[in-house]
Order: sequence, then C-alpha cells, then structure tokens
Amino acid sequence: MAQLIADRRDIDFVLHEQLNVGELSKHEKFAEFNKKTIDLTISEARNLSIKEILPTRQLGDQEGCRFEGGKVTVPECFHKVWDLFLEGEWLAMPEDPDWGGQGMPRTVSMAAGDYFNGANYAFMMYPGLTHGAAKLVEEFGTPKQKEMFLKNMFTGKWTGTMLLTEPEAGSDVGALNATAVKNDDGTYSISGSKIFISSGEHDLAENIIHPVLARIEGAPAGTKGISLFLVPKIWVNEDGSLAGSNDVVCTGIEEKMGIHANSTCSLTLGGKGQCRGLLLGEENKGMRAMFLMMNEARLLVGMQGLSCASASYLNAVNYARERVQGRNLLQMMDPSTPPVPIIQHPDVRRMLLTMKSYVEGMRSLLYYVGFLGDQIQISDDETEKVRLQGLIDLLIPVCKGYVTDKALEVCSHGIQVYGGYGYIKEYPQEQLLRDCRITMIYEGTNGIQAMDLLGRKLGMNKGKPILDLMAEIQKTIAEAKQVDHLKEHAAKLEAALNKLAETAMHLGATAMSPKVLAAFAFAHPFLEASGDVLMAWMLMWRAVLAAEKLEQGTKKKDTAFYEGQLSSAQFFNSVMLPITIGKMDSILATHPAAVDITEDAFGGK
Amino acid sequence: MEIVVLLKQVPSTESLVEIAADGVSIKTDDIKWVMNPYDELAVEEALKIRESGEGQVTILTIGPEKAVEAMRTALAMGADKGVRIDPGDLRLDGLGTAKVLAAALKEMPYDLIIAGHRAVDDDNYQAGPAVAELLGIPNISMVIKQDISDGKIQCHRTVEGGTVVIESPLPALITTQRGLNEPRYASLPGIMKAKKKPVDVKPIADLGLDENALAGKTTIAALTPPPERKGGRVLDGDTAQDKVTALVNALRDEAKAI
Ligand SMILES: Cc1cc2nc3c(=O)[nH]c(=O)nc-3n(C[C@H](O)[C@H](O)[C@H](O)COP(=O)(O)OP(=O)(O)OC[C@H]3O[C@@H](n4cnc5c(N)ncnc54)[C@H](O)[C@@H]3O)c2cc1C
Repeated sequence: MAQLIADRRDIDFVLHEQLNVGELSKHEKFAEFNKKTIDLTISEARNLSIKEILPTRQLGDQEGCRFEGGKVTVPECFHKVWDLFLEGEWLAMPEDPDWGGQGMPRTVSMAAGDYFNGANYAFMMYPGLTHGAAKLVEEFGTPKQKEMFLKNMFTGKWTGTMLLTEPEAGSDVGALNATAVKNDDGTYSISGSKIFISSGEHDLAENIIHPVLARIEGAPAGTKGISLFLVPKIWVNEDGSLAGSNDVVCTGIEEKMGIHANSTCSLTLGGKGQCRGLLLGEENKGMRAMFLMMNEARLLVGMQGLSCASASYLNAVNYARERVQGRNLLQMMDPSTPPVPIIQHPDVRRMLLTMKSYVEGMRSLLYYVGFLGDQIQISDDETEKVRLQGLIDLLIPVCKGYVTDKALEVCSHGIQVYGGYGYIKEYPQEQLLRDCRITMIYEGTNGIQAMDLLGRKLGMNKGKPILDLMAEIQKTIAEAKQVDHLKEHAAKLEAALNKLAETAMHLGATAMSPKVLAAFAFAHPFLEASGDVLMAWMLMWRAVLAAEKLEQGTKKKDTAFYEGQLSSAQFFNSVMLPITIGKMDSILATHPAAVDITEDAFGGK
Repeated sequence: MEIVVLLKQVPSTESLVEIAADGVSIKTDDIKWVMNPYDELAVEEALKIRESGEGQVTILTIGPEKAVEAMRTALAMGADKGVRIDPGDLRLDGLGTAKVLAAALKEMPYDLIIAGHRAVDDDNYQAGPAVAELLGIPNISMVIKQDISDGKIQCHRTVEGGTVVIESPLPALITTQRGLNEPRYASLPGIMKAKKKPVDVKPIADLGLDENALAGKTTIAALTPPPERKGGRVLDGDTAQDKVTALVNALRDEAKAI
C-alpha cells in the first residue's frame, strides 16, 4: 500500500543521512536518543497518526466545532485521540523531563510532528498551543508559577492558548487595548476583548490557561507598554487546586474556510469585572517575551504548512499512478492503444516533480533549523552559539513565510493532479488546501515575515548571519562541483547565490534611501527569491549525498529514492532557478509602480 | 506470574508482496516489517494480566537480527525482557518453529504462554498449539476473553456462531483472537525505557536440538499470487424491474448466493 502523510524514507534520509541526528546522542544531553530510539519513536508516531489521528481529519472537518451557551464542543471523535495522545506523552517531546517532557532533540520531535500534523493539524493545534503556552511559563514564570502550571500543561491536563489579537490590533500587536490593573494581593484585574483565539474554548480539558497581552494602566503607548499575564479560565489556587470561574467568557466562534475542527474564539475577559491574571515576567516586557517565543511558533506554522503539502503530494502521486486517462503522447495518433495512468503525461509529471522538490526542500530546511537549535543546546563555544542563533533568526521568516506560501501552491497542484475529483469533498485534496491557507496569515502574515527578513534580519549583527549562511551554501556548491551529475546544476546555484547577495545589498541600500517605500514593495519578492535559493541549496545538499550512495551501490528501493534526489536537485536548479534569476532582475530594477500609483487610480470607486 | 509471549515479525500487510526469483519465497528488499497483529493482542493481554497482579512479561521470538525491531515495540509497550533465538540459515516450518520455541521455553519459567492464533504471513495456525503439545500443557485457542484465579484460567473461545467457555489449570498456552482487547500504543517514555531492557540472543545450536529433525517436514513447492480481481459486470435491462430480475437470477443461478 502506498505511503500516507509523509514519506518515511524521506524523513529517515533527512534525519540520518543529511543531518546525522543520531550523532547528537554522543552528547550527554541527548544520550538517550541513539538511532534505534529515534527510529522507534518515529515509527510509533507514524503508527498512532495513521491508525488513529488521520481518520479524524475529514470527520473533524465535517463536524466542526459547535458553540452553545458560552461552551464549545470539539468534534466527537477528538476525545479518543486526545486521550491516546496524552497517554503516549507526546505533547512535550523536546522539553525538560522534570516538568513532564521527554528531553528529545527538537529535530526528532519535528519529524514525529510531521506525521501528527499531517494526520490532522486542526487537532494538533490543541496540544501545539498548549506546548507553546507552557514554554512561556517555563521561560518566564516564577518558581511558584511553574509549580502551579507547568506539569499540568506539559501533560495536557490543562491546555493553553495565545491571546494577542484584538479587532484593532492584528499585525500591529502594539495597538492593543486590553488593560490590567494591579490589585493589593499582587494579582492583576484584566479586562478586554480578544478575537481569533485558537483553541480559546473547548471541552477537551478541565482548564485552559491563557497567556494574555495587555497594557497596565498608565503604561507607555505602543509595544513598550505591553505586559504578559497568565489568565486561567478557572482560577488556580496556590496549592494547584481549582477555584471558581475566572470571568473569561467565550462569546462566539468563527465560521471559516479551513481548520473547522479547531475553535477560533472571541473571548471577553473581565466582562463582570472579575477576571484576574498573574504577571508573567516583568511589567512592560511582554513583547520581549513574545519575541523570544516567536521563532518556535513560526517554525511550527512552517511545519503545519509542510505537513499539508506533504500529505497532498503523496496523495497526488499515488492517484497519478492509478488514474487512467488519455493515451501516451507518443501514441496519440493510434486509437487502438490503451489509455495510460496519468503519471505518464508530461504535464502531470511537471506538477508532481514541482510538488516533490518543494516538499523535500521544505522538509530539509525546517528540520535543519530545528537541528541548529539542537546544536546550540550541546555547544559550549559561545561564538559558535551566536553563529547558530544568527542562522536561526535569519531563516525563521523563510521557514514561516516562504514555506507556507509554497505549501499552498503544492496543495493547489495536489488538487490539479486529481482533476475534478480534487475539487470534490469526498477526496482529501480540497481540505488540505483549505486547512493550509491560514498558515500564511496567522503568527504574523507572510507580508510581515517578508518585512522582518528585509528590515531586521538582513542587517542584523552587521550582516554576519547572512554571510554565515552563504558560507554554508558555498560548501555544498563546492562538493556538488565534484559530482558529474551535478556539476552544471551547481554552477547555476552558485550564480543564483551570487545574485541573491547582490540583490540583498541593493535592497538593503534602497531601504535606507529615499526609495524606502519601493524597497518594501519588494520585500515579499525578496523573501521568495531567498526561499527559492534555499530550496535549491537543500536539494543540492541532498543530491550530493545521494550521488555518493549511488556510487557505493544500493538496494533497489534505495536506488529509486536516491535517483529521485538527483532528479529533484536537477529540476529545481535548472528548471526553477532560472525563473528566480528573473525574479531577482525584477527586484534589482525596483520599479516603484506599486508605491507610485495613487489610491484613486486603483479604481473601483 | 511469569508470562511469555510468542512473537513473530511479519511483512506489513501494507507492503506490496512480490514473489522472488526462486519461486518459493518473497522478495524482502522493499518489505516493511511489523509485529504480527495477533501478537499485538497477545502482548496487550500479557501486560494487562501483569498490571492486575505481579510478575513479568517476556517476549520470545525466532528471527534474524532485524526481528528485534518488533520485539522492541513490545518492550516499548511495556514488556519486561526479550529472548531472540537466531535461526541462522535454517528454514523452519510450523512444526520446526514449535520445536525450537518449546526447547527455549523448557529453559524458562512460565505460568502462562500467549501466542497469536496465527501469523499473517504463513497463516499456518500451528505454532501455538504445537508448542503446548510439545510442552505437555493445555492449549486454548482463539481466545476473546480470559480470567485467571486460583491457578486456573477461564477463557471464552470463539466457535462458529458463538463462544464456548473453557477452563484449564495453569501453566497453559492460549492463542489470541480479534476482540480480546485493543492493543495499546507504545508511549514515549515506554520507547525510551525499551532500549535499556535486556534482550538475550541465543543461536539455535545452543538449544541442543537435532538440526536434522528441525529441517522442514513440509517444503514450499511454489508460490502464486492470488488471481487478479475480475472487472465488475453491469446488468442490462431497460427498467429497474428488469435489472432487479436479472440481479436475482444472477445471484440465484450463477453465484448461488440465494
Ligand atoms: C483561524 C485563525 C486563528 C488565529 N489564531 C490566533 C490566536 O490563537 N491568537 C491570536 O492572538 N491571534 C490569532 N489569529 C489572528 C492572526 O494572527 C491575525 O489575523 C493576523 O496576525 C493578521 O491580523 P489581522 O487579521 O488584523 O490583519 P491586518 O493586520 O489587518 O492585515 C491585513 C493585511 O495588511 C497587511 N499589513 C498589515 N500591517 C502591515 C504593515 N505594517 N506593513 C505591511 N503590510 C501590513 C497584512 O500583511 C495583511 O495582508 C488567528 C486568526 C485566524 C484567522
């Protein structure tokens, strides 16, 4: 039977051949995670995902969440998988065992997450947000707060959320209005309205812990006056027992395009003046705390996109092998020849190889960034840690912004390969596209990601991270030039990389000139060009390893896999990169049409 | 209570099975291997029994190095230790397998042995009952419910159209049938513990068996894939009435289904 969700061979390749994650176990921090344990972990995550979670994807979409009298019910079938997920202790894979985690390398937890998210990421948002919220407590909580909340969150007894967005404060979080007033007992009275809160209310757990951004009365305007609070749905006594309701009221849930099974809630805090919160971290330092957690959250959103794309690709390639339609182009004129599986048609192959190369490139990029984080954990060389962190910070907007853009494109190809059936709800493809679409919007829209890359990350540390990144890419190019099958493609990657450097310099300089607005109209194209070059790099890196293996001689199944790696690299570097060169020409020209056009000229009035 | 689970690693039913060039075996290159699904039931039942009392669960398997993977899964589910008998180049049939297992069991403590009622690769239904026979202990097959008390085991066993309740003294061997339980998934902490659990490896020669006597009494003469499913048939007829008549005739006269 064909593989579902994610190609196990591909995951194993990235983990063991590209990144050698088993090596991490040489360090005592990860000593428990040798290759065998890693493999068993992925096998069991896959097993649970395919047998239990995947069957809830379509059911959850159809049933959706229900809102009645302030209560939200999740799809019925979620309760069983929620219990299984918690019993298996999968919620806090990479966290400290003292608090209920498993101390696993992040890279490995991402590979397990590849299956979980691909099986049903609307479901996975409940544990995913819980994990993120608990991380905030771990990072910024007092010992007492950790004792009160952490274990119950990492084990999923209580779930978590993230309350930033308000009607007037979306991309500009600094515009928020929720307020906090300090009480005599040290708690804060919170009031305000939050919207679009994922997993904000549901019936999976007895309590929900909301990290809330709010402004303490009299605090400075903008982001400098924002503080972070822990606001439980049900108040938690100091001994950890539950008191009464904390005046957090769900006033409705959104009807939306996708992720129907995850509740998107409007919450009113302190409508009766009885909502209390605990300050998390320092007053007015809420945004700083948020920023520290942002990398992880954005990487997770990239993973959500990848998972949809990966599932859509595997469905598409399997479908294309089986769907018989039309004659082979070479026998078109002979009506007596039988029709063929559509995988034989050049245009279908174009779509499939586009999907394949993006999925592989994105998987490598995301795991790579997770792996950089693991390396920081085991390094005791401060300069090296700074270098690794610089690479992560630089790559995060690409992992979020570029990956989710391309994931949606992959999902769209995934529908196209199915033809009309792709548009029909009986088949899985249309849901994957609908679910995938939100990843381009939340956790900072992709437009905001592009501005982050251009405005903050490029110039960070005097441009050292970008130079470090280029040095890494150069290493792969040098290796690829030694390989016959890859030489000519490596030259194309090198040319594209050099041009990307030129484009970055140009755009960086333009952003500091009177043409700054024009520069930012090219922030997103620049994000896209950067992402393209990174895809080409990852695929080249993979191909170098594959060529080596092929040289040594491989088993039949492996041969097909490795040859597929060469194909992906050749395709991306020689078919897609020339288009990227064109995109960069456009950026270098920086034509200001988009900023020059008057608002009236947009018409429609 | 000492419980031993007889476990076999088999090709996953999701793998595409192809016949090898020799015509009597399958190609194993591209096969994904898993624990025999009926053995999952056996492991689960053993763990449940242990959890309600005391004792330990040992997994016994015959297989090459690779078979340890299925054993590790059982250990990750919660079993305590494993014993793997390495058959080397020896090809065992159902009876041969039972002889090896029985010989290994004679050196181990056991109050209860649990096996799948069959392995989904060879579909032989033999190993479990034959082991019981060789050990001279009672065997109850196709068990969907069991209850142990006072040194006795009482089992519900499926029979055509119903169940029978059978009781036997321990030690005994039972084989599992679907419906006995819902096997648990390995938990992450279970996975982490699994690698520290002991797995003994014994070459078959150490069991002191006469290898000639083990060599298969049965040999596989040939393997053929099942016939390909034929295309469906659309019944002709102008009206629904005609079509129903044609269908009833076909079911009665051709398929003899009604
Ligand atoms: C299903 C769903 C779940 C969500 N979950 C959560 C959650 O759990 N917690 C939470 O706090 N929020 C959540 N959100 C909110 C989400 O993060 C915001 O919707 C998002 O940040 C965008 O804000 P907005 O909708 O107000 O759009 P706006 O900020 O109004 O943006 C509209 C457009 O303008 C662009 N834009 C805005 N400002 C700028 C600028 N300065 N420069 C260039 N372009 C700009 C944007 O890129 C976008 O294209 C969720 C939203 C949805 C739909």
